[in-house]
Parts: sequence; C-alpha cells; structure tokens
Amino acid sequence: MNILTMLWKNLWGGSRTLRFPLRPKVTQRYRGLVQFDPELCTGCAICKFRCTSRAITYQAGKGEFTWGYDPGQCTFCGRCVEGCKAHALSQESECPPIYLHTGELKKTYTVARKAPAPKAAPAAPKAAPAPGAPKLAEAPTTGGTQ
Amino acid sequence: MNMTTALARLLIFPGILFAVPAAWFFLWVERKAVALMQGRIGPPFMQPFYDFVKLLGKGTPPRSGVAGALMRAWPLIAVSTAAGAVGLLPVLPASGGFEGDLILLLALLEIPSICIIAAGFSSRSLFGEIGSAREAVLSVSYNVVFLLAIVSVAASQHTFRLEALAQMPPSPLRWLGILAILICLPAKLHLNPFSLPNAEQEIYSGPMVEFAGPELAMWELSHGLEWVAATGLVATLVAPHITLWWVAAMVFVALSFGIVLLLSAIAAATARLAIDTTVRFYWQCTLIFAVLAVSSALFMRLKS
Repeated sequence: MNILTMLWKNLWGGSRTLRFPLRPKVTQRYRGLVQFDPELCTGCAICKFRCTSRAITYQAGKGEFTWGYDPGQCTFCGRCVEGCKAHALSQESECPPIYLHTGELKKTYTVARKAPAPKAAPAAPKAAPAPGAPKLAEAPTTGGTQ
Repeated sequence: MNMTTALARLLIFPGILFAVPAAWFFLWVERKAVALMQGRIGPPFMQPFYDFVKLLGKGTPPRSGVAGALMRAWPLIAVSTAAGAVGLLPVLPASGGFEGDLILLLALLEIPSICIIAAGFSSRSLFGEIGSAREAVLSVSYNVVFLLAIVSVAASQHTFRLEALAQMPPSPLRWLGILAILICLPAKLHLNPFSLPNAEQEIYSGPMVEFAGPELAMWELSHGLEWVAATGLVATLVAPHITLWWVAAMVFVALSFGIVLLLSAIAAATARLAIDTTVRFYWQCTLIFAVLAVSSALFMRLKS
C-alpha cells in the first residue's frame, strides 16, 4: 500500500521535471560549456590532445594558431580544463544552451602567437655530482604522457 | 446487420473515424497518467499524433524477399483487425450485431498479438525473437484465463451476442468474469507488470526492434486500437443499458477512460515481472479464479 500512497502524493504534489525550455538549477561545480580565453592561451594544444570526444580542434599556422570548440561533440568531462597549464580554459556553471542546428554553438578563435618569454637568468651552477652517484634521466623534449 | 450498417460501424462509429483519435487519446492518457503518478510532467496532449505523423514521414530500411513483404504486412494486418474489433463493439443501442459476434471479437483481438509474434520472428533479430517467444508464452498464459472469463460471462447470460450481453442487467457471476478480464488486460496491452515482451531496456522493445518509419507508426496505431477495443469490451459489459444514443456513447467513452486510468495506475505501481513469475501468476492464481467463474456459470445454466 506504500506505493499507492506514493503515487497519490506524486499525483497531487506537482512534477519534479520541467517543461521545455525551462532548465534545472545547477551547482557551482557544474561542468557546462568550455570557455576559452585567447589572452591566456599559449597554443600548446594540450587541450586538443586530452579531448577524447574531438570537440576541440587546433591548427597551427604561421605566427598564429586556430582553436575551435564544438559543444555538440563535447561530453563536458573537463579534462581539457584540468590539463590547461595557462588557465585559458574554464567551464560555465550553467546548463548548455538549447540549439536547433548542427554546429550552431561552434566557436573558432584565431590567436596570434605570443613571443616567447625572455629566458630567466641562469641559476648558479650546481655542484658536480659525486663520481659514484647515479645519473638522473633527462626529461623528454617531445611528446608527453596523458 | 445489413451491409450499410456494418460499413458505418466499421468506418465511422465506433470504427476507424472514432477509434483512431480515441486510440491516440488513450495512449496519451496512459502516458500522462503514469507520468503524473511518477512525479513527471508527461507528454503534451497531441504527442501520440505527432509521433504517428513523424514516423510516417521517415524512411524504412530496404528489405527484399518474403521476410521484407511479411514485415510490411504484419503491422497492416494488426491495424485492420484491431479496427475491426473496435467496429464490432455495440456502443450504440440497437446497433445490430449477430449471434456469435463475441467470438469474432475475441479472434480479432487476438490477431494483433499473433502478428507481433510473427513480426519478431520475421525480423530475424535476436531481441525480436526473444520478445516474440515471450509474447507467445504470455499469450498462452493469459488467454486461457481471458477466454474462460468471456465464456463465463456469455454462459451466465445464455448468449454469445454482444448486443444482447450489453442489454442484459449484470449478474454477480458476470462481475466475476469482468474482474477476470480486467486481470488479463495488462498482459494483453503489454503493460506493467506484464510488459516483458516489449521490455525497452532489456531487449530493446523486443519484436519492434527492427521496425521503423511507417511500419512502426502502424504498430503504434494498432496498439492504440487494441487499447480502445479491450477497454471498450469491458465498458460494454459494465455499462448500463441506455436508449439515448448520445448518452450511451458518452457513458462508453467515460467508462473506457476510467479503465485506462485504472490500468495506468497498476502500471505505475508495479515493476516488470519475469516470465516464469508471470506464467505462475496466470496458471496458478488466476486460472483457479476463472475456472470457478465458468463452472459457476455453467452450473447456474444447468440449474435454470
């Protein structure tokens, strides 16, 4: 009989779903659309590398690069934001907008490549390792781990 | 019943012209009622109609050979037999009919189920075949009870003519039979807790899995018409005899609506049962009930 009481309450207690186009409230940590800040982006393309749904595109050009984002393909996993060392990416804490045509929300930015930052003054030379100490492995210059 | 009356009943009221919008309406009532009882908004009023039109506009995958022709034929047969079953219902007073039309109605009500079984096997899909096998087992289980209940109702009133049954005052035995029919309706209409042949999550709607476009639209329409015919049969047996035709028609619609609400409440309150539990329910629990009803009806008939 408990289920009948529950059904009765549901019947008169209003619905918990919303009629289109109303959207539910979200928490502050909600992962919505990815926001791109061209001022901060260094063009490292780590975000493209980390994007498993291929929502982020990156094309390198002469003195500039093109960064694209298609929310229609995005799964809002947030891996691109996590991996962005320059903090150029963030996620909106609201539901993604409703769109009617494929690629309607797609955005593309062409950003001029910034000049490399001047090298810092060389640090004081380290003391030479002891002759018997093990040699440290060098960091890879290309590629990387996911 | 002459040819004109028969055609008017089949094509106008309570046939296709009434039954098709009624089918969409009942499908909407069922979906909306279940949604409200589950705390959801549910579909808008016109949704079943929109679904039908949308499906009509879609294409179907090309199928050749006998299997393809059969897959196109099954939904059409199901729709036409379900519409025929609705056309036989004696909704209006003095609507005619013939001796034995109850048996024809039962046969027509059963054909959509047979079409579903055949369609699942014709589709050669694993999920379709599982759904068809389940539908066949379910059909064997509930039909014994359903037919015994109908026989008990007919035997208690000494006739197999629908109009005569509708005009007679209901006896206690008839109520017993109506109750047994009501127990079978969720299985006949694939509602919870007996929705296992078309389980969406487990077997992707079973026999319907390979159907798309206009064929699927026809299946949906046939399902809606089954709703109208099955609830209409109970409404006919329950409704009091009224001579004014428009009052009779309104009472028929109101009673059918009430039965749809009752079945929706049962569907919302229960979860899907496994096939062995379903078979056990009908063969162990309900069959005794139906046998009692039919034996009492026969005993009363012999006594009178």
